[in-house]
Formats: sequence, C-alpha cells, structure tokens
Amino acid sequence: MTQTPAPTRRAKSGPPLRDEKLKQRRAEARTGYAFLLPWLLGFILLTAGPMISSLYLSFTNYNLFEAPKWIGFENYTKLFQDDRFIQSVKVTLTYVVFGTPAKLIAALAIAMLLNSKRRGRGFYRSAFYVPSLIGASVSVAIVWKAMFGDAGPVDQILSFFGIGIGGWVGNPSMTMPMMILLTVWQFGAPMIIFLAGLKQVPAEMYEAAEMDGAGSVRKFLSITLPLLSPVIFFNLLMETIHAFQIFASAFIISNGSGGPAGSTMFYTLYLYLRGFGDFRMGYASAMAWLLLIVIGIITLIFFKTSNNWVHYSGDEK
Amino acid sequence: MISRRNFITSIATGVAATALLTACGGSDGGGSAGTVEKPTVINYTWWGNDDRAERTNKAIALFNEQNPTIKVVGTFTDWAGYWQKRATEAAGGGLPDVMQWDLSYLRDYAQRNQLLDLGDIGIDISGFDKTLLPSGQVNDKLYGLPAGTNAFAVYYDPAKLKEIGVAEPTGKWTYAQYQQFLTDAGTKSGGKYYGSTDFSGIWWLFNIYLRQNNIPAFTADGKLGFTKADLNAWWSMNSDLRGTPAIIPAADVTQLLPKSPFGSNKTVSEPTWDNFMGGYLADSGAKELNMVAVPSDDPDNLGLFLKPAMLMVASAKTKNKDAAAKFIDFMINSPEVGEIFKTTRGVPASKTQREGTTFDGVDAQVVAYEESIAKYLTDAPEPPIVGFGTLESEFLRIQEELNYGKVTVDEAVDQWFTSAEDVISQNS
Repeated sequence: MTQTPAPTRRAKSGPPLRDEKLKQRRAEARTGYAFLLPWLLGFILLTAGPMISSLYLSFTNYNLFEAPKWIGFENYTKLFQDDRFIQSVKVTLTYVVFGTPAKLIAALAIAMLLNSKRRGRGFYRSAFYVPSLIGASVSVAIVWKAMFGDAGPVDQILSFFGIGIGGWVGNPSMTMPMMILLTVWQFGAPMIIFLAGLKQVPAEMYEAAEMDGAGSVRKFLSITLPLLSPVIFFNLLMETIHAFQIFASAFIISNGSGGPAGSTMFYTLYLYLRGFGDFRMGYASAMAWLLLIVIGIITLIFFKTSNNWVHYSGDEK
Repeated sequence: MISRRNFITSIATGVAATALLTACGGSDGGGSAGTVEKPTVINYTWWGNDDRAERTNKAIALFNEQNPTIKVVGTFTDWAGYWQKRATEAAGGGLPDVMQWDLSYLRDYAQRNQLLDLGDIGIDISGFDKTLLPSGQVNDKLYGLPAGTNAFAVYYDPAKLKEIGVAEPTGKWTYAQYQQFLTDAGTKSGGKYYGSTDFSGIWWLFNIYLRQNNIPAFTADGKLGFTKADLNAWWSMNSDLRGTPAIIPAADVTQLLPKSPFGSNKTVSEPTWDNFMGGYLADSGAKELNMVAVPSDDPDNLGLFLKPAMLMVASAKTKNKDAAAKFIDFMINSPEVGEIFKTTRGVPASKTQREGTTFDGVDAQVVAYEESIAKYLTDAPEPPIVGFGTLESEFLRIQEELNYGKVTVDEAVDQWFTSAEDVISQNS
C-alpha cells in the first residue's frame, strides 16, 4: 500500500519536470534564434541570396535594365580572349607575388624590434599600427598620390640623391612599385599578430641556445621562425586573400581608370568597370566567381603544403 | 571573397534601398496634387562640383518658394559615381523623378524605357531652336530637354603666347597650321610650356573632323558610320608630334589629373567645350583666356555644332508627372534660373531663359564665341548609339596607350574597333 504512491508520484511528477526542462530549453532556443535572426536574415538576404543570383547571372547576359539572357559559359570563355582581363590578371598576380611577402617581412621585422624591451614601446606599437587602420581609406590613397606625384616629396628626396625618376603616378613602370610600397606601409595588422606570436616563444629556449653558442641569425632561423610558423601561415593566407581584393587604392590613384596605360588595372577594378561602367553584370559576375574559385584553390594549396613547414607545439612528427 | 560579397551586397542594398524609397514615395498617393501642408515630394539629382551645387540649391529654393505645394529634394555626386548610381537605381526600378542627364547615356536609358516622354506633359518647348531638339529625341520621342548648349573651341592663353613670342591664332586655320602653332609654342618656350594635349584623343574633336569630311559618326541603325581607315588617319595625324614639345607627354597629363594640363599652366592651348572657361580661369589663375574655332581643312565646313551641355530628363516611373514637368519647365525656361547659372550649364538653351539672362565677363565671352561660330553650325548630333559611354572612354584609354608608346596606331585602331564591335553586338 505504501509502496504504490511512490512510483505514481514519480510517474506523475516525472513528466511535468521533463516538460519544464523541455519548455525551458525551447524558450532558450527561441531566444537564441531571436538573437540569431538579424544575422541570419542578413546572411540570407545580403550574402547567400546575392551569391546565388550572382552565380546565375554569370551564365547570362545582363545589362541591369532588361531581363537576363541565358548564354551558358560564354562569359567564362570570353574572359580568356579579353586582353584587358589578361592584363588585370597579370597586374594582380604581380601585386600579390611581390607585395604580400614584402609586407610580411616588414611586419615581422618591425614586430621583432618592438618585441624587445625599450622605452616608448607602446607609442611605437600604436604608431606603426595606425597606417593599417586608415589604410583602406580614400584619404590615404590621395595623400599617397600626392607624395609620389611630380615634384612630390618622394621625387624631391630621390632627386637629392641623384635618382630623379620624376613623378611615379604617371609612369606606367613605377605605379606597381608604388602600390606595393603602399601595401607594405600598411603592415600594422600582421605586425600585431606577429607580436602576439613572438610573445609565445619561451625565453628559456633563447637562453639555452645562447649557452650553446648560437648567434642571433641562428636563433632566428632555428627558434623564432619554426615556432612562429603557424602565425606566419595565418598571416600569409590572410594577406594573400586580402591582396587579391585590392580595390580602393587602385581606384583612387588611377581615378578609376586603371591607368596609366593599364598598369593599375587590378582584377577587382576591372570587374567593377565591367559591371558598373559598361553595364555588363553577367560578365562581372563571371569574373567574381572566377576570383572566388582561384582564391579557393590557392587557399587549398596553402593548406596542403603547410604540413611541410608549419609546426604546431605538441605536434610530434 | 569579400570583394565579391561587397560587390553583390552593394547591388542588393541598392535595390533594397530604392525599393524602400519607391515604396515610401508611392504611399504619397500617386499623381495627386500636393497641398501646402503636405506638398508633393520629388527627387532631383545632378552631377557637378560645389559651385554647381550651390547654384542648383539656390534654384531649388526659389522653385519651392514659388510652388509651395511641391517640394524638390536635391542630391548630387561627381561625374564618376553618377552613372553607377543611376544604373543600380534603374535595376531596382527607382530612378529619381527628375535628373540632369548627358547625351552619352540618353539612348541607353530611353531605349530601355527608363525615361519619361516629355512631349506632352505640359512643358513649354517653344523657346527651343528646332535644330537643337533632335538631340533629346530617341525614336521620335522627346526624352531630354537641353538646359544649356556648348560648342567646341580651342582655348589659348594670350599672356603666355606674348611671353614666348608666338602670334595669337585667328581661328581660321588648317590642321597643318594648328600643328605648326603647337610646335612653335612648344619650341619657342624652351621647355617651359607644351603646345597642347594630344588633341586626337578627344572623341568629340574626332567627331567634328568626321563632319568636316562629311562622314557620319554613327548610322541610323546604330552601327559605326566610319571605317578603320578614318580613325587611322585621325590618330596618325599627330604621329610626328608625339614626343615633341608640341604635345605634353602622357605621363605628365596623368600626373596632373584631375586638373587639365592647360588649367595647370603646362600648355598654351587646349581644345574643349566652351563652357569650361570659368573652370580654366579658376584652375590656372590666368587673367584672361581666349577661344577660337577648331581647325578645318575646309574653310566653309568647320563641322561645329551646338551640343546640349546637359539635359533634363524624368524617370518613366515617376509618380508625380505634373510636379516633375513643372520643375523641368522652371529649370529650362525661367529667366531667374538663367541668372543663377549664367553659362555654367552652357549657354541657356531656351530663348526665354537666354534672353532673360544678363551675361558679363566670362559668360559674355562664351556667348560671344557661340555667336561668332553661328554661321558654321550644323544640326546637333542625335543621341549616339547604346553603349556610347563605353566607346568614348575606350577612345580615351586606347589613345592614352598610344601616347605612352605602348601600341602603334594600327594596333590602337584595331583595339578600338574590336571593342566597338563588341559593344554594338551586345546591344543590338
């Protein structure tokens, strides 16, 4: 008699308890979704949706006014007969291949300087980081254009040393070095990441190496670089992807024309000109997807080859 | 990846924003007349610099004051961004009610049903010269009304010519004489000034040269009216001058942008539209600049014409036709508006406005120039073919490569024709 109520009570009280928990979990989920909603809507409306429509448009002839006409792979095949497209690929690859390593070397060098204990460290760190904060802005590109212009400070200083090249901005063979210098100057973001990486290198390792008689070059090659390799990998990947997308500075320096003589016709700039200048949205979409695919492939190659040179701590191989 | 996303998002936001805006506009209640308490709102957009913005805002304020039941809301951008904005708005179905327009893009938008037929919505067009109206017409419908006219001219700086001892041009000259003038100016100044920019890079001057030789630039069915040989002859004309003091090097031209070499005091002359006078004076700081007619090998045919410096158009989808018509009428016909703009939109195109405006100083010079060439003027060009904006910028770009010595004249001509044929096949 006395045993029976217990199970019933348990049976009775059990479900409400589970209900309670379930309700609570559902409420939590609802709150979660509610908080997620703005992002989710944004993603669907502003990213996923346009991406899908862009993929569709890349197979069409679309001039913004009339309904898109399906033309299959014509946009993609046309690309490879387009001299200006080939030019834009060349310009962009030159920029990526020379600009990115130069930027990373500068970032690492300055990071190592700032890692040592000296006075005013905080100030220097901020000062070196500032250019990358304002780097993408229009004003910097304008200032840069003025600096490298005819009779600008750069030309004057070089002339003082007897290397007068004249203005860089109007000289097709000097615009690429100028663009690369501009990106190198914006080394702040990778520098900060390098600094964080350098902080992780145990001081004892350097001390041990010193006791074994290693010089600073040896220490750099055998300790700093290998231990920093994951950070280098990260920076290399990010900066490469970033470099492929250069647009604003090229647009400003060439007044949106990609000139002089096509020397700053970067991929994204040409894409933009095709889309909004010539109303060839299908063509521009095809270019955008091609860029996505190429960046995807390059990222994949980076990851595949990274096993050979990136060392993670605790990773014994 | 971000670039692609940005690119697409910008389209999407543009579309969304315009959709939103048109939705808001629509709730106003269609074409119903506004009241003083609740005026009909119409949007007006234009391109230009601060000076034009100031003048336009003055005109808008005056209009709003005289028409309390209508409220004009104005926005402006520079030339470069202007057409991208219009393109995205058109894609989203929400062009502003009234817009400042350019001949280069009139056919593109009119033929694609984006613009309103202004023929019968109550705008007074009696003040317009009959030879001028065709430039606003596409397929026999009137889509644009010229606010002002400009004509092509060769500017020169008399003070600089005096300084280097070169006689002022008279405006009665052949191309050979013109080139001799540029060479003289360049050599006699001993490197201080160049003669001019390479004038063969200017599409409109090429167009004038074609007219001088009775060759149409475009055919009625939207094809090119000239041959590779014609363009070759034109670009070859300066072959001997490139790299001499007669013509300023391309690198210097690029360097000086956005100012022109003439405005930067690097050359003694420059061919361009006659309403640039004010800008040149401001840029160069010169006290006085003069204009003469363009060279021609046929003294009776200068190939000159009055072109609408800019047009007024309305969106085909505007909900407030009457208000838009009233505002366009005001902008092109009102003498008060003429007094505000003077010749900065070109010489006022409508007689009512032109005669109601007083011109002095620079403005009088522009008017005088147009009067001096009046007997040589032929019909204004019809709106060029669809995709003309692309052709014009390609003309400049390829000619720049020529000046940089990157291509030969033959290659340049081939490049331009390839591009032109592509544009034409795309749009036919």
